Amino acid sequence: MATSLEKIQSVMTKKYGSALEISTPGSSIRLEGSLDTYQMKVEAGWTAARFGYKAVINDITVPDVQEETIACSSYVDNVLERLHFDVAIIGGGVIGTSIARELSKWNMKIILIEKEEDVGVHTSSRNDGMIHDGFAAKPGTLKALYNVRGNRLWEPLASDLGIGFKRPGSLLLFSNPAMKALYPLMADRAKRNEVDGWEFWSRERVIAEEPYVTSKQHGGFFLPSAAVISPYKATVALAESAMLNGAKLMTSTCLTGFEIEHNTIRRLHTNRGICTASIVINASGNWADIIAEMAHDRFFSLHHRRGTECILDMESSRWQQHIMSMPSILQVREKTKGGGIVLTEEGNVLIGPTAEEHPGREQYTTSPSDMIKLKKHFTLNSKLSMDQIITYFCGVRPCTYEEDFIVGPSDNISNLIHVAGIQSPGLASAPAIAADVAEMVIAKAKTFMEIQPKANWIPKRTADIITRRLSLEARDELIRLDPSYGKIICRCEQVSEKEVVNALHSTLPATSLDAVKRRTRVQMGRCHGGFCTARCIDIIARELHIDACDVVKKGPDSQICKGNMSHDETNRIC
Amino acid sequence: MMKPIEYVDVVVLGSGPAGLAAAFASAKQGANTVVLERQERPGGILKQCIHDGFGNLRYNETLTGPEYAYREIQQVIAALVPIRTNCFVASVEHGEHHFLLNCISPSGIERISARALVLATGCRERTDRQVFIHGDRPAGIFTAGLAQRLINIDGLIPGNRAVILGSGDIGLIMARRLSIEGVQVEGVHEIRHESSGLKRNIQQCLEDFDIPLYVQSTVTSVVGSQRVKAVHVAAVDVKNMPIMSTEQYIPCDTLILSVGLIPENELAHSLDVPIDPVTKGPVVDHVMHTMVDGVFACGNCVHVSDLVDYVSESGSIAGKHAAAWALDGCADRTLVPVSRAGNLAYVVPQMIDTSSPQRSASCYFRVRHTIERTTQLRINSEGQQLDCLTFDELYPPQMERFAINETIFSSIKQPSADISIELVLVEASHD
Ligand SMILES: Cc1cc2nc3c(=O)[nH]c(=O)nc-3n(C[C@H](O)[C@H](O)[C@H](O)COP(=O)(O)OP(=O)(O)OC[C@H]3O[C@@H](n4cnc5c(N)ncnc54)[C@H](O)[C@@H]3O)c2cc1C
Ligand SMILES: Cc1cc2nc3c(=O)[nH]c(=O)nc-3n(C[C@H](O)[C@H](O)[C@H](O)COP(=O)(O)OP(=O)(O)OC[C@H]3O[C@@H](n4cnc5c(N)ncnc54)[C@H](O)[C@@H]3O)c2cc1C
Repeated sequence: MATSLEKIQSVMTKKYGSALEISTPGSSIRLEGSLDTYQMKVEAGWTAARFGYKAVINDITVPDVQEETIACSSYVDNVLERLHFDVAIIGGGVIGTSIARELSKWNMKIILIEKEEDVGVHTSSRNDGMIHDGFAAKPGTLKALYNVRGNRLWEPLASDLGIGFKRPGSLLLFSNPAMKALYPLMADRAKRNEVDGWEFWSRERVIAEEPYVTSKQHGGFFLPSAAVISPYKATVALAESAMLNGAKLMTSTCLTGFEIEHNTIRRLHTNRGICTASIVINASGNWADIIAEMAHDRFFSLHHRRGTECILDMESSRWQQHIMSMPSILQVREKTKGGGIVLTEEGNVLIGPTAEEHPGREQYTTSPSDMIKLKKHFTLNSKLSMDQIITYFCGVRPCTYEEDFIVGPSDNISNLIHVAGIQSPGLASAPAIAADVAEMVIAKAKTFMEIQPKANWIPKRTADIITRRLSLEARDELIRLDPSYGKIICRCEQVSEKEVVNALHSTLPATSLDAVKRRTRVQMGRCHGGFCTARCIDIIARELHIDACDVVKKGPDSQICKGNMSHDETNRIC
Repeated sequence: MMKPIEYVDVVVLGSGPAGLAAAFASAKQGANTVVLERQERPGGILKQCIHDGFGNLRYNETLTGPEYAYREIQQVIAALVPIRTNCFVASVEHGEHHFLLNCISPSGIERISARALVLATGCRERTDRQVFIHGDRPAGIFTAGLAQRLINIDGLIPGNRAVILGSGDIGLIMARRLSIEGVQVEGVHEIRHESSGLKRNIQQCLEDFDIPLYVQSTVTSVVGSQRVKAVHVAAVDVKNMPIMSTEQYIPCDTLILSVGLIPENELAHSLDVPIDPVTKGPVVDHVMHTMVDGVFACGNCVHVSDLVDYVSESGSIAGKHAAAWALDGCADRTLVPVSRAGNLAYVVPQMIDTSSPQRSASCYFRVRHTIERTTQLRINSEGQQLDCLTFDELYPPQMERFAINETIFSSIKQPSADISIELVLVEASHD
């Protein structure tokens, strides 16, 4: 039951003075006015979320925080002009690509548009890569539902996609002896969420399983179903699988607006032309509320929670066996799980993430204070230390004020489906969300077209060749087929020239150094590109038939070099 | 079918100056030797150091890096030692009295069994993340070695306006190199209170090109989403922490980092070779034998040297003794630790093998803090002073060398518990 407006007004006035104006458009609650900080704005949103409305629209302004606009790719042409699609998916993160693959099972014309030069550039490549067990999600939420289902779907899916999958399990350490008493409560929650297995581990068992664990632990709660994948490889593989099955994928393509008629999206405007689509799916991550607004359907607002992580040298992983954290009094009131130690699928130790409300939708600046926050996790394992850090990065979680996912058809626009507020565990949930969204699309599509499953749908995508994971015999045979499998480009991660070449000519080819990095792991090791950057520039230029000066790090205006001495004196500067 | 295993006496890993000197010395002893190099050409880092300043001690001449490398390569070729390029040593298995190396090369997997190994794998550069530079992640951030390679080997110019962090010789040389190629160098920032480069380089690389040097200053963050737009720099306090009130915005499109080198020791790690936490290289005795029998190490993978001549010297010693080890079988070692006292950051070798036929030792050290007064370095054993050497000034960035000659070596008591190296300030006798 929604609280009455007077009641709300009195609660909000008590907390925030008369600074805020409250209204209840549609089934949402809307906040306007001005507050001093972004944190206060977010807190006001959380408060409003408790009044039982469908969603919170938070239009509170904060000094020095400007509303951001989508940075559209500078690329312009007309390739989409007048084309029609049965389904258009906005956003090439793990959610959009999962949906594209699911829908590619049907005889529909699908397009996925992504504004960046590659898929998985934003939140989908800036996370822990964890396929959570589903314990942490609040029972009854969409998060809990999709997480547990997604956890079950990922293992067979990863095998079909030809990507790695590991299930190290997750250990929540008890920081004091009294916490053992919480075991029945924890077990009950795990049961309610239908988590696949849980165990109590004694202090001794923890030591046996994790020999370098902190002496401050008092046993723990073990969740064997927690798993890891490489989130960027997964996103690329999902996209490629959809493409192999006929979906059209357009990178460097930005949705800039809709034409709406009779509560229906008629046309999609992009920098590549104006096209039409019978059904539109909003899977635009941190921009989902802006896309909703373009469709005159902004019934929710997103706030943005930044998380910083650091990656340790490969060497460190031999000291850690499981995903591990020590939640403080179970983080009952926290919005996130608090971070910890993760073993990535690719074999590094990852520490994080932090959680900080920050207005930048795509601002990935890190700061020294983030590193200080990560320090506490290092103490969980006596062998880990800050000097093993080889890199750190940050990602932004798109969150609703209800702190749950929005997955479903719009109430107002007949042909729009929102998949919004996909914060953590969005990666874990992706296959389950995609399956549900596909059902919604099919139900809608059946009303206006003949729809059938494709008889020749190909579930399997050929796995990329990763030579460092092969036996010597298998490597030897490959090298005989193509000697460039025997030319090591990246010494830290042992990547061969041919693997780089493959990435540049795959189904969804890499066009930038970062895209090559996500696909092959060049630049991801301890030297961080010191040795291989020059080689990679050379190979990219050769394979893409471009000048070495035109090789970019990540999309337009990110050229790595500014001049080429092989040009004549007058035009050395590119 | 994989190629059959090949058997040799000594494998040298890496063909930089250390590896080349080791290979030559090993072959001279009559050992069947092979050099493995993962790059397309031999010479290691010297290939891209086209400035001069190499070989003053070894050749009594001032050579460029490629010239120095050329001489060393010719010597190895003349000794009929094969240098296998494009050959990446992926792993080593430690067998009984031999090592099996699994190498990846365009002609297939090569497996080589050797009685002795010489690690000469050089070092890698510390990156922006390892010195905790924050902010955005655009294109335009390079380590000095990468920028040097792009310019000198690939003919690519990394940017138009650069800021350099780190004023060691590499940073200084890159400041000059970039200027020559028409890049506007906005300044070199050094966190310490003075440049760690040679005085000569400060004159020739900065002053002659009007490039300002800012000491006690560091880059705090990078600005720019696609390409570097600017960096923030700030003065640092006594603890090297940036003083935020002094932060300045410097427009530029390139940041070059010359912030230190780290010995490359993955293979040593995999063989469980003990590593000195200070040098980050293997603990070695005075013939460059690591603490794992049959594994020798030399050059920058042992400790970072600023003079190639010393690197070659360590290679010659390692190669000679690796050959002896491989050919004559394994003699027991009597290892005496070299302890250090006073203002010494480290001493290499960390051990002396008193039963070795090599009756002299070249030792290297660095100090922790600058000493601008006359200092004595004393070599003691069992409470007795064996030798005493005098140094005028000592700076942390500068590696110093001293020798334990045959007479001193013979005066080390047998058995002996320890040899200690001590730095003692000499009281000013006058003034
Ligand atoms: C630090 C951190 C750690 C996390 N850890 C985990 C974890 O361990 N496990 C887990 O399950 N989840 C985790 N998450 C959450 C998970 O990463 C996200 O839920 C998931 O990646 C969201 O995917 P997405 O496709 O919705 O968003 P995104 O990957 O952001 O994709 C949205 C895409 O839409 C594009 N787009 C936006 N607007 C337009 C437009 N107008 N036109 C065209 N394209 C557009 C964007 O460019 C973007 O590529 C973590 C998140 C963070 C920040
Ligand atoms: C930019 C710069 C400027 C310098 N300027 C001067 C100067 O002016 N004067 C001076 O005297 N000294 C100078 N030096 C110092 C000196 O040249 C170096 O210390 C010396 O070259 C190091 O030699 P090295 O053989 O130990 O290592 P390197 O030259 O780095 O050689 C190591 C070799 O091992 C190979 N290798 C590594 N791992 C493997 C593997 N797994 N399999 C196969 N091969 C492998 C590498 O490819 C490399 O070729 C400079 C150094 C640098 C970096």
